[in-house]
Amino acid sequence: MENRKVRIALTKGRIENKAVDLLEKIGYDVTDLRNKGRRLILSVPGEDIEVVLAKAADVITYVEHGVCDLGVVGKDTIMEHGGKFFEISDLGFGKCRFALAVKKGTDFYKGYGVKTVATKYPEVTRRFFEAKGMDVDIVKIEGSVELAPLVGLSDGIVDIVETGTTLKENGLEVYDTVAPISARLIVNTVSMKLKQERISEIVRLIEENCDDKNN
Amino acid sequence: MKRYDLLTPEGTRDLLFEECAAKRAITEKLTELFKSYGYSEVMTPGLEFFDVFNGKVRYFPQETMYKLVDGKNRLMVLRPDNTMPIARLAATRLSGEKLPLKLFYNQSVFMVNPKNSGRDDEFTQSGIEIIGGESGAADYEALALAAKALAVCDEDYRLEIGDNGFFRELIPQLGAKDEQEESIREFIETKNYPALNEILSDFDSGAAESVRKLPALFGGEEVFAEAEKYMFTDSLRARLKALKALYEGICGICSADRIRVDLGLVHKKNYYTGILFRGYVEGYGRPVLSGGRYDKLLGDFGREAAAIGFAVNVEAAAKFLYAREVKTSSPDVLVHGGRGAEAAALRHCEKLISEGLRVYHSLFDSPKCAAEYAKENNIRRVDTVSADGSVESTEV
Repeated sequence: MENRKVRIALTKGRIENKAVDLLEKIGYDVTDLRNKGRRLILSVPGEDIEVVLAKAADVITYVEHGVCDLGVVGKDTIMEHGGKFFEISDLGFGKCRFALAVKKGTDFYKGYGVKTVATKYPEVTRRFFEAKGMDVDIVKIEGSVELAPLVGLSDGIVDIVETGTTLKENGLEVYDTVAPISARLIVNTVSMKLKQERISEIVRLIEENCDDKNN
Repeated sequence: MKRYDLLTPEGTRDLLFEECAAKRAITEKLTELFKSYGYSEVMTPGLEFFDVFNGKVRYFPQETMYKLVDGKNRLMVLRPDNTMPIARLAATRLSGEKLPLKLFYNQSVFMVNPKNSGRDDEFTQSGIEIIGGESGAADYEALALAAKALAVCDEDYRLEIGDNGFFRELIPQLGAKDEQEESIREFIETKNYPALNEILSDFDSGAAESVRKLPALFGGEEVFAEAEKYMFTDSLRARLKALKALYEGICGICSADRIRVDLGLVHKKNYYTGILFRGYVEGYGRPVLSGGRYDKLLGDFGREAAAIGFAVNVEAAAKFLYAREVKTSSPDVLVHGGRGAEAAALRHCEKLISEGLRVYHSLFDSPKCAAEYAKENNIRRVDTVSADGSVESTEV
């Protein structure tokens, strides 16, 4: 097997921007990453590193299969998709939370009737209510989940809440927190062992330079 | 009605030609290795009772097993693992045999993977089980064979040694509740330092500090010196010393830079009771070999005996390392008889085979089609046989 570069997968979008800032702070040349055009694999000049851009769930898939060594992905995706990899550090950025939200003024936990919950994250939702010992019907929604309780499809939603503005504008409110979320650095279990020195070095640099870490 | 008669089920596939050759080459080399150390081969049924995989120390999550029911309505599974059936065998049909037993196997396991994960639901494992025997020597033998088995897959392998006894000893001293224990184990296994730190912040004993450090204690020989600082009881220190001795012993057999240690190896399969090991090769994102000591498992089947074993994922080894190198070669001679000369042609085939050649017996009517076939398939010589047995040889 040829010795390929250390490959880092970044979740496209906001996490990508924060992660590129972080790589720049470490001192890597990120010109390619800033002017990527439509390219999906980008090089870091002067380093034995290349960067891959992918959707969140795919970052996990690529790292799990070992075709990427490291990945930066939100805890939300890790919780929903699971998988086998090392979840080395909490990068501190991309902070928000999973929350159970309901129509303003309703008491979701009251009564014995089986409630319906709409969500984009059925696994997270299932585990949350299982741990509570509650029976709920889960409906998977692809788009704006906030709509479901408004049109009467569900009693509540489980979704990512950052500022709560969308909830407020639609007459919903947070009823309970499910889990906090932030961006995580993940590492393939075999890469960690085969390229321990190089990867530990990169992990150390990332951890040292991620300033929001302890906020 | 949608029919599935043209597909193989998800997670399974047909293997053709070079792929078969690669897989067979791996199993043959491993078989040869195991036999050279005096191991005996066993085969167990592909179908087993569900209960075999559902005991106190042999728990397999039921959602990962393919299940069916037999004629008496009993729950069966397609074998999800090879160690359980062999332990069952050693405790039952082989119960009269003196220990130690040295067994090896080449057979498939089946498991339900999440859909579209790109993983095999059926794959072949080659492995050994040493049942009984003084644990010291057995550990050495298992590890030495594991290193040799990895070298069959790729010269540039890494064999990693750990011992989940550290975790097992530390946990009671920590005083964690059952559900916390499983979370802690999981965080160590996934080297999830932030989560581990958080859950351990509720405990402030020396044990917590050691547990916190476990997943970070991996690498080469330097790990042992670092680990010593966190081993605060005689028993933990003795365990570390034993592991170090084993590590040094194995380094003396194979080249030291191939051998790694990770004290954070804490396998989910709860039948492992002591040393654990894994083998890695470049280009495959998961271990190609895994194994360990399981001293309680045989007892669970009614025969107390210590045991250790490992399995190689043959598909992984074959797919990533051999497929590029192994070529199926063409036969040496195409033998064409044609109408009336069928028997004579086959007699000629026998003769060539006895001379050590590989033949392709032509099924075509016309010599022209036969010659074309030879050319397309890289067969260098064509022998045309007449009914009287006379042979005309042409080079293509």
